[in-house]
Amino acid sequence: MRVGILLLTHETMGAALIATARHILGRIALPLDTLAVPPGSDVETALRETATRVRTLDQGDGVLVLTDVYGATPSNIAEHLHSMGLDVRRVSGLNLPMLLRVLNYPEQSLEELTQTAASGGRAGIHIDHV
Amino acid sequence: MLEREVTITNKLGLHARASAKLVQTLQGFQCNAWIVHRGREINAKSIMGVMMLAAGVGSVVTLRTDGADETAAIEAMADLFARKFDEGA
Repeated sequence: MRVGILLLTHETMGAALIATARHILGRIALPLDTLAVPPGSDVETALRETATRVRTLDQGDGVLVLTDVYGATPSNIAEHLHSMGLDVRRVSGLNLPMLLRVLNYPEQSLEELTQTAASGGRAGIHIDHV
Repeated sequence: MLEREVTITNKLGLHARASAKLVQTLQGFQCNAWIVHRGREINAKSIMGVMMLAAGVGSVVTLRTDGADETAAIEAMADLFARKFDEGA
């Protein structure tokens, strides 16, 4: 299994997360890319560009699209990918723990990685001093 | 099942890169592996598990392995701690 990973975020948050993951992990075992959706971008254009990235990343096992905030434009763009016939799953609430956990399980299927991403994102939140 | 106590001696403790290195080291082993710290036991093959221990320099942790290659795995883990995760300090 080699699921592609696309980070679809506001601004260059995705690029910063990828640079950090590379620093921590040393090597990245999955096809990984990011696309920034700047404020005021045309949704149709952004969707076309996103679909192109997804097709490039898909090596036959599908693509996991990680977006920052559910309900925001990058996430809303990702919502349309499925109806375009692309083999994708979307998980929102992207954070560094989510990305690190996903990259630590490169053998998983798209279905499994979707759950891995969600649990990694949640588990990465830790409350102190209460 | 094997167990060994080790002390964390690298300056940054079980920080992100050290956690990743530990998990990557264990990927080649079939056995299960855990780390116990302050009463919490985590899966040593889980990067978020290791990192969330937040174990700093001076912490004493217990390594635990169970399975066919448990000896080689605990040796590899202990060696990484002894080498300060190749961080020099």
